[in-house]
Amino acid sequence: MYNSPLQVGEPAVAGADFTRRRLLKSMMLVTAALALPALPPDAFAAPLSADQKTTLLRVARDIYPHDSLLDDAPYQAVIDAILVEAESSPTVADLLSKGVEDLEQRAQHIYKVNYTAISKPEEREGVLRSIELTDFFQKIKGGLLMGLYNNKALWPKFGYDGSSWETGGFIDKGFDKIDWF
Amino acid sequence: MSTKFDLNDDSVVVIVGSGAGGGTMANELAQKGVKCVVLEAGNKLTLDDIENDEWAMFSKISWLDKRFSAGGWHGAVNHPNLPAWIVKGLGGSTVHWAGVSIRFQEHEFKMRTTNGDVTGANVIDWPITLAELSPYYDKAELKMGTTGEVTGMPHLPWSADFKVLAEGARRIGYSKITAGPMSINSVERDDRPACQQIGFCMQGCKLGAKWSTLYTELPKAEATGNCEIRTNCMVLTIEHDKSGKVTGVVYADSAGTKQRQKARVVCVAGNSIESPRLLLNSASNMFPNGLANSSGQVGRNYMTHMTAGVYAVMPGEVHMNRGTAVAGIVRDEAHNDPKRGFVAGYTLEKLALGLGFLSAFLVPGPTGWGRKVSGALEKYKYMSGVWICGEDLPQEQNRIELHATEKDQYGLPAPVVYKTDHPNDTNMRNHAYQQMEKIYNSLGSTEIYNLPAYPASHNMGTNRMSEKARDGVLNKWGQSHDIKNLFVSDGSQFSSSGSPNPTLTIVALAIRQAEYLAKEMQQGNI
Ligand SMILES: Cc1cc2nc3c(=O)[nH]c(=O)nc-3n(C[C@H](O)[C@H](O)[C@H](O)COP(=O)(O)OP(=O)(O)OC[C@H]3O[C@@H](n4cnc5c(N)ncnc54)[C@H](O)[C@@H]3O)c2cc1C
Ligand code: SF4
Repeated sequence: MYNSPLQVGEPAVAGADFTRRRLLKSMMLVTAALALPALPPDAFAAPLSADQKTTLLRVARDIYPHDSLLDDAPYQAVIDAILVEAESSPTVADLLSKGVEDLEQRAQHIYKVNYTAISKPEEREGVLRSIELTDFFQKIKGGLLMGLYNNKALWPKFGYDGSSWETGGFIDKGFDKIDWF
Repeated sequence: MSTKFDLNDDSVVVIVGSGAGGGTMANELAQKGVKCVVLEAGNKLTLDDIENDEWAMFSKISWLDKRFSAGGWHGAVNHPNLPAWIVKGLGGSTVHWAGVSIRFQEHEFKMRTTNGDVTGANVIDWPITLAELSPYYDKAELKMGTTGEVTGMPHLPWSADFKVLAEGARRIGYSKITAGPMSINSVERDDRPACQQIGFCMQGCKLGAKWSTLYTELPKAEATGNCEIRTNCMVLTIEHDKSGKVTGVVYADSAGTKQRQKARVVCVAGNSIESPRLLLNSASNMFPNGLANSSGQVGRNYMTHMTAGVYAVMPGEVHMNRGTAVAGIVRDEAHNDPKRGFVAGYTLEKLALGLGFLSAFLVPGPTGWGRKVSGALEKYKYMSGVWICGEDLPQEQNRIELHATEKDQYGLPAPVVYKTDHPNDTNMRNHAYQQMEKIYNSLGSTEIYNLPAYPASHNMGTNRMSEKARDGVLNKWGQSHDIKNLFVSDGSQFSSSGSPNPTLTIVALAIRQAEYLAKEMQQGNI
C-alpha cells in the first residue's frame, strides 16, 4: 500500500512474555516504586544475618505501622517473600544487604545505635525518610502495600468487606443505613 | 452471529476500538445495515471473569502497553508509565466506567464565546450546540438506560456514603444533590438486572446492571449479521491511496501476525491516547505529519478534566464500599462564574475506593507511607470521599507525542503523554478542596486528605472538532477535515472537556455520526 512501511503476514509482536513483564512493571510503578538506577549486582552478596533480618522486620513495621491492629506475621510474610526472592536473585540479595548496611550506618551516625535500638518511632521514621527514594526501601514498601492492604485475610481487621457479589451485594444489608448525624 | 468479512472486502467500515465510541458506532451502523468490522486490541472477557477485587481487575483489563507520563503533573513522577487508567479489552473503558451520565450544559459547547480568550489556553467553541445534540442525548440515554426523565427509570437509592456527602453539602448551602443520572439499572431493563449495590462498579459490573458496550452494543451489533468483531487485533497503521483517501488498516492479529483489512471508511475510536497515536504512526510521504493533521492539532489539546480526590474520616461509621462506587453527584459548582477565580465549573462525585486502591492513592507515589497513612487506613470504615471532576482548559502543549526511541511490543513508537495544569485548573482544584473541607468540617470531620489526580480515566480532545480546518482535526460530524472517509468516533473529538463525565456525550456523538455516515455512504458521497 501507498504509505505502509509494514508488510502483512509477518509477526508483529516482540517477545511473548513482554506484556506480562510490562504489567508487573506498571503494577510496581502505580504502587509507586520510583525507578532509580539499581545497584550493580554483586554475585557474592552474603546472606543476611539474623540481626539484619530483625532490622528488616522493624523497617516493615515502621513503613506502615499498625501497632495494635496487626501482629508481626503479615509483615514477616512480606519480608520472607523478599528473602526468598533474594536466594535466587543476586540483585535482590545485594539490594537488601547494602540497604540494611546503609540504614545501620545512618542510624549509627545520628543516634549512635542500631536502627532497631532507636526507641522513638518518629525518629525511626525520620531515618527511613532519608532513604525513602531508594530501590531498597521501595522494594519493601511495594511488597507491604500488597501484602497488608491487598490481603483478603486482613481486610476484616480494617473494616473492609471485600467481594460482595457472592452474597447478593448490600441491597438488603444496610447499604443505606446511617445514624450518626 | 459469526459473520465474517474478507480481508479484501473494501466495502466495509472498519472501526478501531470497541469502547463507548467504537462499540456504539458498531451497533448503530449494523442496525442500519452498514457492514462493519470492529478491530479491538484487547481480549474478550465475560461476566464470569469479573471479580470484586480492585488489583486483580486492574491487571486483567487495564491498558498496560508501554506509555510515558510527562509534563508538570505529579503523575510524571508518581505514575511514570501509567498516564491514563483505561481499558484494553472488548467494551473498552465502558467495562471500567462508573456510569455517571451528565449532559453538557449549553455554555459548555461555547467556552470561547462565553469567556473570550484565556491566556495560555487554546479554547474554541464546539462546531455544534446543545440544541443540535439534545435529540441524540435522548437516544443515548434510552440506549444506555440512564436513570432520569427520558427513560423514566428512577435514580438509584441513596447509599449511606452518599447521605454523608449530601448532608454536608446541604449544610454548606448546596441544593443540586442527586443520585443520578447514572447508566445503571435501578430496575430491570433491556434484559439486564437491577443494581444490587455490590460495589466494585469500576472493576466491571458482575451483574451487567451497568451499561457497557461489552454486553449491550457489541452483541447487538453481531446479532444483525452486519458486524464482525475481531479481538486481540491491534491496529498499527491506517493506509491511504494516491488521492489521499484511506483504503484500510494494517493490524497485528491474535497470533501476532500482520493482516491488512481493506475498508471503505475507517472510524478511529481507540480513546484519546491511542487514536492520535494511530494517526501519527500512519504518517506517509503524502502526510508526513500524520493523517488528518494539516492543522497540526492531532495529539494536541489533551484534556483529562481537572480532577482530584478528597477523603475524610467521619465521626461515625460509613462503610463507603457498600453500594455503587459513585452513588451520587453534587452539581452546585458546575456553572460558569469567573468570580470564583476560574472559568468553567466542576462537580463533586461521591466515589468509594476499596482498601487496596485507597492505600495506593491516599498519598500516591514513593513518599506515601508512614504512620499518618497507616493510621488513616485503620479508619477505613469511617471514611467517606469524593472525586472532583471539572472542566480543564485545552492547551496545545498538553499532548500525545511519539517517543523518539522507545517502542511498544509491536515495534511502534510508544506514546508520551504530556499534561500540565493551566492556572485555571489549579485555581478550580483549590476551590474544590476548600469547598470539600467546609463540607466535611460541617459533619464534624477534621481529618481530611486531599488527593492529587489519579491516572486519567477521562481522556479527551486530541483530535478535536472545529468549525475551521486550521483549528482542529475534525468537522462537526467527527469527519476528518482533510480525509473524507476517515472519522474519529471517540472522546478525542471533544473541542472542550466540559465538566460532565464524557461517556454520555461520546455515545450521543457516535449515534449522530453513524446517522450521518450511513446517509453519506448511501448517497455515494463517501
Ligand atoms: C475507572 C473509570 C471510571 C470511569 N467512570 C466514568 C463515568 O462515571 N462516567 C463517564 O462518563 N465516564 C467514565 N469513565 C470514562 C469512560 O470510560 C471513557 O470516557 C470512555 O469509555 C471513552 O470511550 P472511548 O470510546 O473514547 O474509549 P474506550 O472506551 O477506552 O475504548 C477504546 C478501545 O479501543 C481499543 N484500542 C485502542 N487502540 C487500539 C488500536 N490501535 N487497535 C485496536 N483497538 C484499539 C482499546 O483497547 C479500547 O478497548 C471512566 C473511566 C474509568 C477508567
Ligand atoms: S453496584 Fe450496581 S452497578 Fe455497581 S457493580 Fe454492583 S450491581 Fe453493578
